[in-house]
Amino acid sequence: MKREELLNIAQGWFEGRGWNPFPFQKQTWNAYLQGKHGLLNAPTGSGKTYALWTPIVLSYIKSNPEYKTKHKKGIKALWITPLRALSVEIQQAAQRMADELETGLTVGIRTGDTTQAERAKQKRSMPDLLITTPESLMLLLASKDYPKLFKTLEAVVVDEWHELLGSKRGVQMELALSRFKTVCPKLRIWGISATIGNLDQAMDVLMGDSTEQEKPRVLIRAKRKPKVKVKSIIPKKMETFPWRGHLGLHLLEEIIPIIEASKTTIIFTNTRGQCEIWFQKILEKHPELAGELAMHHGSINKETRLWVEQAIRNESLKAVVATSSLDLGVDFAPVETIIQIGGPKGVAKFLQRAGRSNHRPGEPSLIYFLPTHALELVEASALKRAVTESVMEDRTPFLLCFDVLIQYLVTLAVSDGFKPEEIFPEVQRTFCFQGLTEEQWQWCLNFITKGSQSLESYNEYRKVLIQEDGLFKVTDRRIAMMHRLSIGTIVSDAMLLVKYVSGGFIGTVEEWFLGKMKPGDTFVFAGRTLELVRLRNMTAQVRKSKKRSSNVVSFMGGRLPLSSQMSQLLREELQSSSAYKSQTRELRALSHIFERQLQESIVPASYEFLIESFETREGFHVVFYPFEGRFVHEALSHILAYRISLLIPISFSLAYNDYGFELLSDQVWDVQLIFDNELFTPEYLLQDLEKSINATEMASRKFRDIAVISGLVFQGYPNKTVKTKHLQSNSRLLFKVFKDFEPDNLLLQQAYRETFEHELEEGRLRIALERICNQDMVWRPCEKPTPFSFPIITDRLREKMSSEKLSDRIKRMRVQYEA
Amino acid sequence: MTKTLTFNFGGLDCVGHASGALFVPDYDCLLIADVHLGKVSHFRKHGAAVPTAAIRSNFDRLDIAMEDFKTDRIYFLGDLFHSHTNKEWDYFAGWMEERKPKTTLVLGNHDIIPLSRYDALGITTCETGTLGDLKLTHIPEENPEQFTISGHIHPGVRLRGVGRQSISLPCFFISGKQMILPAFGSFTGKHVLRPGSDDRIYAIADGELMALHETP
Repeated sequence: MKREELLNIAQGWFEGRGWNPFPFQKQTWNAYLQGKHGLLNAPTGSGKTYALWTPIVLSYIKSNPEYKTKHKKGIKALWITPLRALSVEIQQAAQRMADELETGLTVGIRTGDTTQAERAKQKRSMPDLLITTPESLMLLLASKDYPKLFKTLEAVVVDEWHELLGSKRGVQMELALSRFKTVCPKLRIWGISATIGNLDQAMDVLMGDSTEQEKPRVLIRAKRKPKVKVKSIIPKKMETFPWRGHLGLHLLEEIIPIIEASKTTIIFTNTRGQCEIWFQKILEKHPELAGELAMHHGSINKETRLWVEQAIRNESLKAVVATSSLDLGVDFAPVETIIQIGGPKGVAKFLQRAGRSNHRPGEPSLIYFLPTHALELVEASALKRAVTESVMEDRTPFLLCFDVLIQYLVTLAVSDGFKPEEIFPEVQRTFCFQGLTEEQWQWCLNFITKGSQSLESYNEYRKVLIQEDGLFKVTDRRIAMMHRLSIGTIVSDAMLLVKYVSGGFIGTVEEWFLGKMKPGDTFVFAGRTLELVRLRNMTAQVRKSKKRSSNVVSFMGGRLPLSSQMSQLLREELQSSSAYKSQTRELRALSHIFERQLQESIVPASYEFLIESFETREGFHVVFYPFEGRFVHEALSHILAYRISLLIPISFSLAYNDYGFELLSDQVWDVQLIFDNELFTPEYLLQDLEKSINATEMASRKFRDIAVISGLVFQGYPNKTVKTKHLQSNSRLLFKVFKDFEPDNLLLQQAYRETFEHELEEGRLRIALERICNQDMVWRPCEKPTPFSFPIITDRLREKMSSEKLSDRIKRMRVQYEA
Repeated sequence: MTKTLTFNFGGLDCVGHASGALFVPDYDCLLIADVHLGKVSHFRKHGAAVPTAAIRSNFDRLDIAMEDFKTDRIYFLGDLFHSHTNKEWDYFAGWMEERKPKTTLVLGNHDIIPLSRYDALGITTCETGTLGDLKLTHIPEENPEQFTISGHIHPGVRLRGVGRQSISLPCFFISGKQMILPAFGSFTGKHVLRPGSDDRIYAIADGELMALHETP
């Protein structure tokens, strides 16, 4: 059949449903049928499933003209999705088309939720299209005879590639694809990505190192620029609006009319804790909303979440308080309005959330921004500009993840075994491992076979065996099983199941939170006040409590730093200070704060770098304002403190937020020495960073994930997971012995590298220092704290930096005595 | 601050060593708790690639402690061996052969190796030991009558300073008539204790020993 005829089949099907294919869909069909690989840049809900599923079906029809009567067996395509929740939606869409075109093609799902029976059935006879997650795909690679299973595979479609790209799950995908390229010679690789700053690179990473001739590829963009209108919720009495805070509850009453005026509203919060608190408070103040208000976050049990999602579709809810758990996924037509509480810290995240409101064609999505403290209004103002100027963040791919590589090699050894000479070139052609040297490769092989690099003849280490024919294989069944259970790159804290004594599952809570509670204590979770009855194994049994409790469940992590794109916008927004009176609504609302700031200090212009100093009861504060996001500020504060401490003996306590950082000391020092000694120079950055920051402590935290992914520590069997505390202390202990006895261990070095690149954003730091060096430094000694400094100096999450010897420091420290 | 520190316990002079060993000059012997030999190999056997150099380090530090005090008498206060015998037992046997210390092992909860194997190396084993009026145990026991030295806990202490400075260090922990020794092994963790105001703490920091809190 010619391409024309094939395309007509698709066109006909679309028209039969009263649809007209979008240009980007047709473009994708054509490119696929020409045998090209590619990346499709299209937002959720734009018809991207049919953009890629259609040509897969057409290609099948082409190669099997008697498709209506004879079904050709074997898997045709893999559809990788980062979210299990999305798989059903995709399955339904794909199956509908396959059925209506009478192709007889089957669509199956395989994720962590798939039953054992279903898996076995799939193993016997694969569906034509398999929808799965990167982890489940790896598990398939860990099963015997996988090359036979995938022999007929023609296409891999990686959905939401932007979500995977900047994570180790992306690396996992790269490695899986490198194998498929060999196993399935006819393979076409396609990705689907939302708009990010580095789309071209995203495609390169997906394709790996193969030339354009080898693999002709296209980047197809769906030309659908999202129209977004941002409206800030500005308090009527700006004067009493707090200068610091992160909950934003002062403005609770302001959102009630918004909720009432709209069919369904999603209220996005930045953390699960914030989500719980908002849900609780809205119901407390407005009990009339009970039954019409729901909550949605990643720790609530799946049934409840699905129920909430369904209720949104049924329009039976007025509002949902949510976290990023609703960022992605299926479309909710009835959602008319979005409210964002607190700065979203990134443009892409904000737009994604704004896009959740389904609007009438041609009309923009409306998103309300609710600031949690006064200065966040500047962020709102910056976001508005980001929307009009289409600024987008990059997703930076990982490089040289030895932990993922080690896991992958053991995966291959668990299934059919592998020969290094065959796998090495494959691995080297992935983006992640393009710089992999022969020595590093050998190191990884030694690691999985001998557990060390030394050539000692005696060894009790058992993992992968080298067989006589040179095949690297796991023969021990227990090791194989433990490995299968450990496949994955998402390391989460151990979760406790929260259940009623009478039965009934409520959700999961991080162990550290419940671990410190005693039976009888109450806490707020999933919108209910619960009393802890007992902890048994990994289950917390609870009952409902009538007591009022302010002990809201909290979760680790989740605090994202300002993206560099947002930082830039924020600086520009602020630095147009001289004209602030004529600026946006948000900036005008802040005028009294700017005035207060000006009484003591200045609002820095774009060519100025502001430093403030003042004394309080706590000590001598020096506050700096680079506006570069908290990670960069964390690193900057350490470097600066270190450099100062080389000049004078001093101890600092450090604090930072997204806007600036503070050095607090118990003695007054001369700020002038910063200028005299050019302490902001980017020279010797890395050396100073290594000496200044508690890199060891940070790396040891990073090392926990690496230890789990590389199989150094085992997270436990299902329903019998190892306690986080043990996991933590095991990995810390391992970190310490590696540091003491094997400092050149690649996994240890990776922990440091990840710390510098991801935690400290070394690259961004360098650019920031270069910028600061070219600015006019303005030092303002102040009488009292300024509005700008207030959120920083009141931060209680502090770190220390000292030039004193450990022994001297200890002399000044005090032992923690019994409370 | 030095590598050793002398303090009084139950009327006896005791010398703490930065390795975590305690020397009692009157009896010319070393007290050492929680070496956890074999733990590295135990981990390796289960697929965790702990560096083998950590094994060597235990013996090196045993040598240093013996040489520093010129003694060949050792009391191990339990958890000498982490688990079942493995290759590290052979290293240990070799080390015993070479150094020939007069050795007593107070049995700990981890010591599950058949006692005959200790016998074969000339090691005396017992549930509790005595050193003059001192009682030696593995698990600390509250005994108001008798001065006791034990291990098991792997004691550590957390220090805090101005500006939220914080650090945790392994330590000798003395509370009333009870002294708990730090874990000697190179692949052992620590458990942070919060001392009462009458407790004495001698912490190990950067290969040195320091008195953090000493009641006059």
